[in-house]
Amino acid sequence: MKKLMLALALLAGLWSLSANAVEDKYQFKDAEREQTFKELVQELRCPKCQNQNIADSDAVVAKDLRDRVLDMVHEGKSKQEVIDFMIDRYGYFVHYQPPVTPATIVLWVMPVVILVLGFGFIVFRQKKAARKQSWSPEDEQKLAELIKQSQRKERTS
Amino acid sequence: MNKKFLGLAPLLIFVLLCVFLYQGLFGNPRELQTGRLGQTMPAFELPDLMDEQKRWTDQDLLGEVYLLNVWGTWCPTCIAELGYLTELREQGVRIIGLYYEQAYDPDFGDQFDINYLRTDVQQMLARAGDPYQFNILDLERTLALDLGVSGAPETFLVDKNGKIILHHTGDINPRVWRSKFAPAIQELQP
Repeated sequence: MKKLMLALALLAGLWSLSANAVEDKYQFKDAEREQTFKELVQELRCPKCQNQNIADSDAVVAKDLRDRVLDMVHEGKSKQEVIDFMIDRYGYFVHYQPPVTPATIVLWVMPVVILVLGFGFIVFRQKKAARKQSWSPEDEQKLAELIKQSQRKERTS
Repeated sequence: MNKKFLGLAPLLIFVLLCVFLYQGLFGNPRELQTGRLGQTMPAFELPDLMDEQKRWTDQDLLGEVYLLNVWGTWCPTCIAELGYLTELREQGVRIIGLYYEQAYDPDFGDQFDINYLRTDVQQMLARAGDPYQFNILDLERTLALDLGVSGAPETFLVDKNGKIILHHTGDINPRVWRSKFAPAIQELQP
C-alpha cells in the first residue's frame, strides 16, 4: 500500500513537471499574456509532426513557432493576430480550429444535418405510429363482437 | 418514388463516405501546409553561406525564374536529392540554396562553428554534386519561418517577379519534377 502511494505521488510529481515544463522557461510581464501564450501553444499545430500541438512537440519548427509566439505575445499582439500570422505562413493547417471555408463547411454542417435528420426521422415515425393507434367507438363495438364470437367458439368446441 | 429514395439513402451515404475516406487514404497531408502560395517572396536580408561580407536580399533574386531549395548537411534526404538537382542545374534550372541550420540554436546543438559548417558544406557538395548558384545562410531560420518551412528538404518555385508558384515538401526526384515542376515552369516560360 505504501509502495502504491509512493508510486502515485511520483506520478503526480511527474505530471505536474510536464505540465509546467513550457511555462517555467519563460517569463511574462502579466498573467494575461501568460494565459494567451499558454492557449496559443495548445491551439497551434506543429506543421512537421501533424498530430501534436507546438507545446508538445520537440521538432525544430515547433520550437521556432513557440519562440515566435512568445515574441509576439511580449510585443502585446492579440491571440487572433498571432493565429493570423501563423496561418499566413503555414496555412489553415497550423490551427487546430478550422475556419468556415468551402472546403471545411461539411465539417460544420454535417453534425447539424445528421442531428436534424435523425430527430426528424424519430418524430416522423412517432406520428405515423400514433396515427395507426386511432380508436373509435365502432372499433370498440367490433372488438366486443369478435371477442364474443371467439368465446362462443371455445364453448362449442 | 419517395419511399424508394429513402431506402437507397443509407447506401448512398455509405458510398459517399467511402469516396471521402478513400481520398484521405491516398492524399498527401503535407501538401496542405502552405500559406505563401501566390504571394511574393517575403523581404529579407541574409548573408551568403560562404562569405559573411556578401549579403542577399529579396531584390537580388528578382528577374529570373528560380528554385529556392531549403537544405542542410544534417538532412539525409537533402543529400540524396543533390545529385538530381545538379542534373537540373546542368539543364539550365537556376537553383538557390537556403541553408537551414539548427546547430546554431542552443536548444539543438551544443556548439556552432561557421568555419566548420563551411568546410562541411564544401565537402558535401564536392562529393554529392553542387546544384547551387549560391547559398543563403538563415541562421535564425527567420526566412524559413516567413516562408512556412517546416523542415528540410523543401523547395519553392519562384517566378521572375518574386511570386511563389509552388511549395514542395520532400525531395525532388524525376517523378516529382515531371508531374509538378516541369509543367509549372513551362507555364511561366511560353
